[in-house]
Amino acid sequence: MPAGRLGPAAQSARRPPPLLPLLLFCVLGAPRDGSGAHTAVISPQDPTLLIGSSLQATCSVHGDPPGPTAEGLYWTLNGHRLPPELSRVLNASTLALALANLNGSRQQSGDNLVCHARDGSILAGSCLYVGLPPEKPFNISCWSKNMKDLTCRWTPGAHGETFLHTNYSLKYKLRWYGQDNTCEEYHTVGPHSCHIPKDLALFTPYEIWVEATNRLGSARSDVLTLDILDVVTTDPPPDVHVSRVGGLEDQLSVRWVSPPALKDFLFQAKYQIRYRVEDSVDWKVVDDVSNQTSCRLAGLKPGTVYFVQVRCNPFGIYGSKKAGIWSEWSHPTAASTPRSERPGPGGGACEQRGGEPSSGPVRRELKQFLGWLKKHAYCSNLSFRLYDQWRAWMQKSHKTRNQVLPDKL
Amino acid sequence: MSRREGSLENPQADSSVSSLPLLEAKIHQTHSLARLLTKYAEQLLQEYVQHQGDPFGLPGFSPPRMPVVGLSAPAPGHEGLPAPERLQLDARALAALPPLLDVVRRLQAELNPRAPRLLRRLEDAARQARALSAAVEAVLAALGAEPRGPGPEPAAATAAATAAGVFPAKVLGLRVCSLYHEWVSRTEADLGQLVPRGPS
Repeated sequence: MPAGRLGPAAQSARRPPPLLPLLLFCVLGAPRDGSGAHTAVISPQDPTLLIGSSLQATCSVHGDPPGPTAEGLYWTLNGHRLPPELSRVLNASTLALALANLNGSRQQSGDNLVCHARDGSILAGSCLYVGLPPEKPFNISCWSKNMKDLTCRWTPGAHGETFLHTNYSLKYKLRWYGQDNTCEEYHTVGPHSCHIPKDLALFTPYEIWVEATNRLGSARSDVLTLDILDVVTTDPPPDVHVSRVGGLEDQLSVRWVSPPALKDFLFQAKYQIRYRVEDSVDWKVVDDVSNQTSCRLAGLKPGTVYFVQVRCNPFGIYGSKKAGIWSEWSHPTAASTPRSERPGPGGGACEQRGGEPSSGPVRRELKQFLGWLKKHAYCSNLSFRLYDQWRAWMQKSHKTRNQVLPDKL
Repeated sequence: MSRREGSLENPQADSSVSSLPLLEAKIHQTHSLARLLTKYAEQLLQEYVQHQGDPFGLPGFSPPRMPVVGLSAPAPGHEGLPAPERLQLDARALAALPPLLDVVRRLQAELNPRAPRLLRRLEDAARQARALSAAVEAVLAALGAEPRGPGPEPAAATAAATAAGVFPAKVLGLRVCSLYHEWVSRTEADLGQLVPRGPS
């Protein structure tokens, strides 16, 4: 709401863009109908103003006497009656208003400034657009899905809130030649985003920028230059399967297929795996799964359901030196580790957890070493082979029910 | 002899008798549709005033009743008219609403571009008014009544006074949404008087 004090007549008004040329109705302010109603006109109509500026407006009554005179008129702004000291009678039919230090508009369709007759009836209205010009958009980031399209996102200027409808337009052109193009599919991945679906060139840089425009001005971002091949992402790996590793109670095997969309292009894929216990929200991430399509998770809890996801980074495509962009995670796939066959504390025929009656110090150390190696080298096949054989022997020697499967790696 | 027995045992019976259950079903369905659209029209009004800002949503807000080309509110004597005549007026008004709602939607697309739900409701309202008008016409035809006849030229084809500003455009949109609500609820009431009472 504007402050209730008189201020200098420093009005910076600008008429808004015209509405539709064809409107089909009689308007407020038309000659009175047979009922004898009177009307008025507010000036200025629909001004645009900077936050903190002032406005001087008038309400002039039309109609044959007897009718409302300026003496009985009053103003409301967004439904609130304005203090009488802000108004002044200019002449018999005109009431003036002075508003200072205007706040930003309460709604995008404009603040409703209304002139009322003494009995409260509405004589005329005008909508005020009070806000700020846009600031420079920044932080443009773009990515291409399988080199077929380009999606870009940006941040709308330092403060974002202009109190006015601000239009953002993503522009792009080939760096060395070509005309400016305008992106047309907006809000695809959030409010400040745009999608270019086709007709993109490879091996040649694009220049991309964002223009912001509202009733009070415009601003343009810095230009981002990129090659489509440097910002490629792809689909998540399909056909992710998670399965047990024989009877090994602390391991799960994860297999997947490389994303088919890029299979015809030369690139070195990187993968990441993440997994979590069923009732946890904390993911553990396995990094640096380079160019493989399988991995074994170890150090897991027995008898526990795990959710697993995989994602892919198609870096180095067509010789690009850039890092590439990670795909989305695949749909979660679940599997459970086998329950531990060793009885818990205090139950049944007791066996020390992790120990064996005939284990000597050498075996204990070997077990500890391999356990440590397994925890810190998830996808090291050699250690798995040795460890698996040793675990299988341990289980067999304790007469467990599970049969140990031959190593298939 | 029940109506059903009459239609089974005597295929030569008057077709109006055998089609009576069909007419009742048609009236019932159209009445249900009108009832549903009355609810939607209320929601549209609420959504509309919310986006125009106060005083539009305040109790007691009473803007000037601006005349709309090609459509007026139901007349005070509407309820006293015979049922077919009432339905004809309902159908005519509902047929006149879609182009007006389209204009309001285009205006609101400029005034409230970030109000997708409002814009969608206005678009839906135009479609719904068309559907209800056609359904009422079908009831009139089944009743053997005269069709509604040509209405006024679609509003989009005639240029009248241009808008004096944003505030009048807001008021006019409110007027159109109010007329839409008045006419669908009027149609619901008129059809309600034709819906048979008791088990069918």
